[in-house]
Parts: sequence; C-alpha cells; structure tokens
Amino acid sequence: MGVMFLGRAVTGGTVNGDLIPEVPDLARMRQQRSSRLRGSMRERGVDALLLLGTGAVQYAAGAAAPIVDASRATLLRPVALVLADDPEPHLFTPHREAAKERVAADHVHPPLWVELDGQLADIATRLGRLVPGDATLAADEMPYPLRRALGDRVVAEGAPVLSAARLIKTPDELACLRAAQSINEAAMRTVQEALQPGLRQSELTGILLSEAFQLGAAGVAVDAIWQVMPERRSDGPWAFHGDVAYPTPSSDQILREGDVIWVDSGILYEGYASDFGRTWLVGRDPDENQHEHFARWVAVMQAVLDEIRPGATGGDLCRAARKADPLSAAEGGKPWLEQFYLVHGLGLDSAEMPLLGTDLGEEFDDSFVLEPGMTFELEPVIWTEGIGGYRSEDLVVVTDDAWAPLSDYTYAPYEGPGRAETAR
Amino acid sequence: MSRPGLAALPEGGRADFAAIRADRRRRLLDVMAAADLDVLILGRPGDIAFAAGVRPLFTSGSRPYSVGCVVVRDGGRVHVLADHDDGVPAEIAHDQIIGRSWNPRIASARTARIPGLAGARRIGSAGTSTSAATLLATLAPAAEVVDARPLVQAARATKSVAEVAVIETACSLAEAGLAAMAQELRPGVTTRRLTARYSERLGQLGVTVVPDGPVAWRAAGGLCGGLDGRPLAEGELVSLSPSVTYGGYDATLARTLVVGGSPTAATGKLRDRAVHSLSEVVTACVPGATGAELMRRWADAGEPAFAAPLAHGVGLGIEEPIIGIGLGADEVLTEGMVLAVQGIVRGVHDNAVGGWHHREMIQVTAAGPRLLTRPHPRAADAAATTTSSPGAT
Repeated sequence: MGVMFLGRAVTGGTVNGDLIPEVPDLARMRQQRSSRLRGSMRERGVDALLLLGTGAVQYAAGAAAPIVDASRATLLRPVALVLADDPEPHLFTPHREAAKERVAADHVHPPLWVELDGQLADIATRLGRLVPGDATLAADEMPYPLRRALGDRVVAEGAPVLSAARLIKTPDELACLRAAQSINEAAMRTVQEALQPGLRQSELTGILLSEAFQLGAAGVAVDAIWQVMPERRSDGPWAFHGDVAYPTPSSDQILREGDVIWVDSGILYEGYASDFGRTWLVGRDPDENQHEHFARWVAVMQAVLDEIRPGATGGDLCRAARKADPLSAAEGGKPWLEQFYLVHGLGLDSAEMPLLGTDLGEEFDDSFVLEPGMTFELEPVIWTEGIGGYRSEDLVVVTDDAWAPLSDYTYAPYEGPGRAETAR
Repeated sequence: MSRPGLAALPEGGRADFAAIRADRRRRLLDVMAAADLDVLILGRPGDIAFAAGVRPLFTSGSRPYSVGCVVVRDGGRVHVLADHDDGVPAEIAHDQIIGRSWNPRIASARTARIPGLAGARRIGSAGTSTSAATLLATLAPAAEVVDARPLVQAARATKSVAEVAVIETACSLAEAGLAAMAQELRPGVTTRRLTARYSERLGQLGVTVVPDGPVAWRAAGGLCGGLDGRPLAEGELVSLSPSVTYGGYDATLARTLVVGGSPTAATGKLRDRAVHSLSEVVTACVPGATGAELMRRWADAGEPAFAAPLAHGVGLGIEEPIIGIGLGADEVLTEGMVLAVQGIVRGVHDNAVGGWHHREMIQVTAAGPRLLTRPHPRAADAAATTTSSPGAT
C-alpha cells in the first residue's frame, strides 16, 4: 500500500500467482528452471539439449564455475547436458568442487573439451553414452571440434529452446536479480559519496568492486563505465550510427569538476546480473537545462511504466516513450540511443531478450507481447545538441497486474519525484 | 575528450602499441598467405584484439561466435565490428568500422560492403556458428570456408619482445595487487575482504579488469573455491591468485600464503613439494619440449595430476597450447611463447592442511625459461630460495 516509484503507484504484487521471496530458494530455483527448460524441450520435440554458453550452462546447472573473461570461459568451458526425461542436468566440468550442492554428484562428469581438438573421440563416446543415436539432439553453439566429434549426427538449433525458457523468470530468479541489484546499488552509494574532482575512473571502479565484493557479489558482469559525456555529439568519439558514442571503456582518466558522467555497471550474484545506470555530476549541482533533461527523462519513464502490463506489446512501450518526449522527435530522434534499445531484458546475461526499440524494427516490437515474469531494464536517454544528455536505468518485472520495481536508487543530484519509497 | 590513460595503453603509454599492432598484423597476413586465404574471419575477443587492436568493453563469460572482424589479405585491411571509434586504432579508418546491428539482415548488408569479401575464393574462419556460416554462405557463395583456428593460434603464440614487455608490466601490476592482499592477511580477515583490497589497489594503479576468476580463496576449499565471509583462521592456507588485463594482455599468477605467519611442519612440507615439483616443470620449458614431457616432469616429481592446466599460453587472454587436463601431450614449445605454469599439491591431512597452489608466468627462450613473475617474500618461492639446502624437503 502506498508504494511509489518515480511518482507512480506500484500495484502489482504477484508474478504468475507468486510473491517474489525476500531470499531466493536456490534449490527450488534450480528445480523450476529445469522444469521450464524441459517443458520447452518437449514443446519443440528435443530429447537432449547440449549447452555451452556461460549463461546457458548456469541456467541448466547453476553458477558452478568461476567468473572469468571470455577466453577462459570459452576454451575451458563447462558444458551442460539436459535430457527431457531427467530432472537433473548433467554437468561436464573442470570445477567439480563448485558443482557441489548444485548438481547431483552422479551427474557431475569430467570436462568435455568441445573447443579444443585433443579429445574428439572422447566427446563422441561420452555423449553417445547419455544420448542414444535416435534421440533428437539440440545445441546452443557448435564449435568446430564438437561438430567434428559428432560426425554426421544431425543437431538442431538449441538457442530457441533455451531463450523461450529464460524469458519468463521464476520468483527465485527475480529474488536473485533483486539481490544483485541491491548489492550494486549499496556499493554505488559509497562511490557516489566518494565522487569528487581528481579521482580516476579506475579508482571509482576500485571503490565499487571493493564494496560489492564485501556485500556478497560473486564477480563482475561488465567493466564499470564512468564515461565523461560531451555537450555535442561531435565533441565525443565518431559514431557509426551518428548518435552520441556510448559506452566507452574506463581507464585511468581523471575526472574534473563539472564533468557529466554516465555511470553503468553490473555485478553478479548466483549468476544473475545487475544493471545500474545513472547520470552524475562531478563536484557540481545540475543547472536548469540539466534539471529539465531529468524531468523529460522522468516523463518518458512514467509513460512507459504506464503501459507495462501483461498483453501490452513492445510497440506500445516504444510509442509511449516517443509520445512522451516530442522534443526528441522534433530533433529527428527518439528518447533512447540509436545503437541500442529503450528496453532490454536482464537475467543470467546482462542484456538478454527482449530487446525493444532496436533496428529489428517496429514489426518486431509490435509482435512482442508482455507476460508476467519478464524483466525490463528501461534506459531512456534525453539528448540536446549543445547541452548534452541525461541517461539512467531502472529494472522492473512485469507482474500479474502491471509491474513492480526491482531497482531502488536515488537520482541525486537531480531533483524530481525520486526513487521507490519501498519498505523491503 | 581526455586521452585515455594507463589502462588504455593501446592508444599511448610507454609501449609502442602502433608497432606492436603492425607486427601482429604482419604475422596474421603471413599465416594467411601461407594458407592461401583471401579473407580471415575472427569472432573470439582475443583474436579480434590481436588483429585490430581495439580496446573492448570487458564482460565476463563466453559469448557465441559471430563475425566480429574481417581481414582482407589483398591490401591488408582489417575491418572491425564497432559502434564508434573510441578504442579503435587510428590505422583502422571509419569505412573499416562495421556498425553493429541487432538485425541479421542489416548486419549482413553492412558486412557485404567489405571490399574483397564477395569474390573471395578461400576464407578462413577462426570459429563457427550457424549464423556465421549462413552469413558467409550468403556473402561469399563461391568461397571455400576452412577452420582457421590453428593458423591464428600460430600467429598469436610467438610473442614479440614488445609484447613480452607489456605482459611483464601486467605481471608487475598483479604483483602489486598481491602485495596489497598480503598486507591485509591476518587471522580474522575474509576472502571477500582480500578481494576488495585487490580491486581497490588495482583501481589506484589505473586497472579495472581482472580476467581470471577469484583472486583469493581458502586453500582447503579445493582447486578454486568461491568467496566467503567466514574469517580465516591462524595457520590456514589461502590461495592468492591475482590476475590483470593491461593494454589487452594478461598476467595471471598464484601464491599460497599462511594466515598469520610461519608454516607448520605439515604446511612447510606441502610448500616444499609444490616448489620442487613446479620448478621441475618450469625448468623443462625450453624450445622443442613437448606437453608430454612437462606432464612427465610433474608426475616424476611424485605429484598426481590435478584438474587445471599444468601450462597454458597467455597473451590477449589465455591461448593454446593447453597442457595437462588430458590435453596437449603433442604440443611443442617454441621460442617466444609465454606460458602460465602452475602446480597444485594436496596435503596428506587434507582438511587440516589444504592445498598449495603456485603459478608462474614464463617466456620460453633459447636460453631456457625466463620468469616474468617475481617471488613474494611470504610465499613458497621465497621460501624455496632459503630452504634449497639438502634435507629441506
């Protein structure tokens, strides 16, 4: 009762009939994900699903591997195998200890080196033992060594099977996402307090991660961005799409008084990513133009939030955003970045389906129908050549009635209706 | 815009990155010529960084293979997928930047504009996926597409003197982070606090990317434990495994330290075993040595195999060769390779003692292995120099 978010009353409480728990039940989460995944397999006639992508393996088997860069996550990847008639996933992993309490002991196997050429016969033998020749096999990726190991065996596209399951989050997944977001926000509070002219971008990252690790983060999803924004697009890097160049990776660049920085970061909790985005000023308060930008951003957010409910379409959200900010349209643009989206999903990957407002086009946006359990990271951007821009992000989930916020952070130093006044 | 600084070295700093990039391009064009490839397609971040020298935004985890960089041999032009030119080296002109798209149709139309792609006879692709294969079949229907992973690996494996210098700088940064953790190490501290201290210290040094997983874990927890908030006890072993990405290049090392002071007899024994067995393997890292020989050295020292590579290439991320974990027996070390070589030994009284983990970075030279990492006063390698007298084991 009485919970407000960006000046809007939050009504939705349940997601597919369930409340989001305060603390995720990880065992239940794994069971429900397994059941969703196997349901999706049965719908598509897939008997065995081989998963290679980091997010895909986590969906099937939990966050059972260290958090590493793409080279390590690819060459030394754990692999999951899900069988439609077995609720327990098989995990082939070099990280046996990390799989403890996440995967049934008799389903944890030595690694399958699907990215390396050394053990092709081993891959074929061990997969053959679990997946009979007449079973329908699908895989999310198919690197050369795996393809060779499987010989002429037909393998279906596994990505659609997986994305259908992942699109709708279970209550425990939502609790994980909220926990990740909450850790990120608490760490950002410390960073924002420390922010002052003379600090390096990398020092802000150091403060952020120092706090986040102590608060329970398992690792970094995305290198934190503290991009100093220009007032004109042409004062920033050249951009293919003609819009303002964003994001640019951080360095040891020193921040100066009056810099407007677009802050963006993501950490991981039980495999789930947070996504924190705000506009900050270094050592200064916003001027009138900047406040006006924020007011326009709030109006776009409110218009989009007002559309979010089961049955609405992605197109409804994008049209509402455009309509709420005629000034962007007058400048020939839209209130979000040309190269990105108005909305992206958030889960085990820091930007996953749905992506709305992209160059997939209006037809795609209109065909995308909102359902309870979808997560939406909303990231409108207001830009005026000569003044610069305002960008922040918030995370909501589509509930049975409308939506509920999963993020909860002040917009200071900008003044407006403020953040959620939720009592968690 | 302010110029990027330390962590963004490819655009400045103390190393001549323009020369490093030119050398890497030449190596890549050489292997393309030798394999008679007109076009090379790259999709893995390390391969793209090698060819194009772009400064990517770090995200953890794998991503599906897709066309991220197209090298055309005729003219030696490198085309790269990017939204803007920040972090794209000056030698890559704006018309060599392929704008990213979410829409496969648009992506295909943009890629189609690359001069020399449509008429290619032979295309190498350092990875494959359904979408990449479909794209190539559409844009270069007459081309034969071959697996170019071995070629790209060969071009990357032998590091130039300048590349090794950057890797050594990365090692120094990782060691500075290690020192910060070691200073904090006392009974009652947690692995979370140690990790926090590491992040803080690297941030002060201008570095933000830690590529190789957790930097501190309880050695009793296994090969690579997670972070936890339980205080470390006096005498417990902690594995400190700092890693850094600097100018695109990685350093990754590991030291095992005893919480709150000197090792007991049991932990000292473990340490001496680790130091001895690892030095046997490191000594064997000479040009011409095979993966099988390295594994034999470890086994001959009396240690069982463990579930992590005994040695692997390091450069722009980890690279092949990967030796150990059932792989790489036939790999042959060559001069100029940079390797991470590691050993993990488990104590007899496992729960009480835990494991001893130690990882060095070396360069394979004609004169033998050259250590790129340095001893830490409180870790096994320092102990080794003081306990190398007979009978110390």
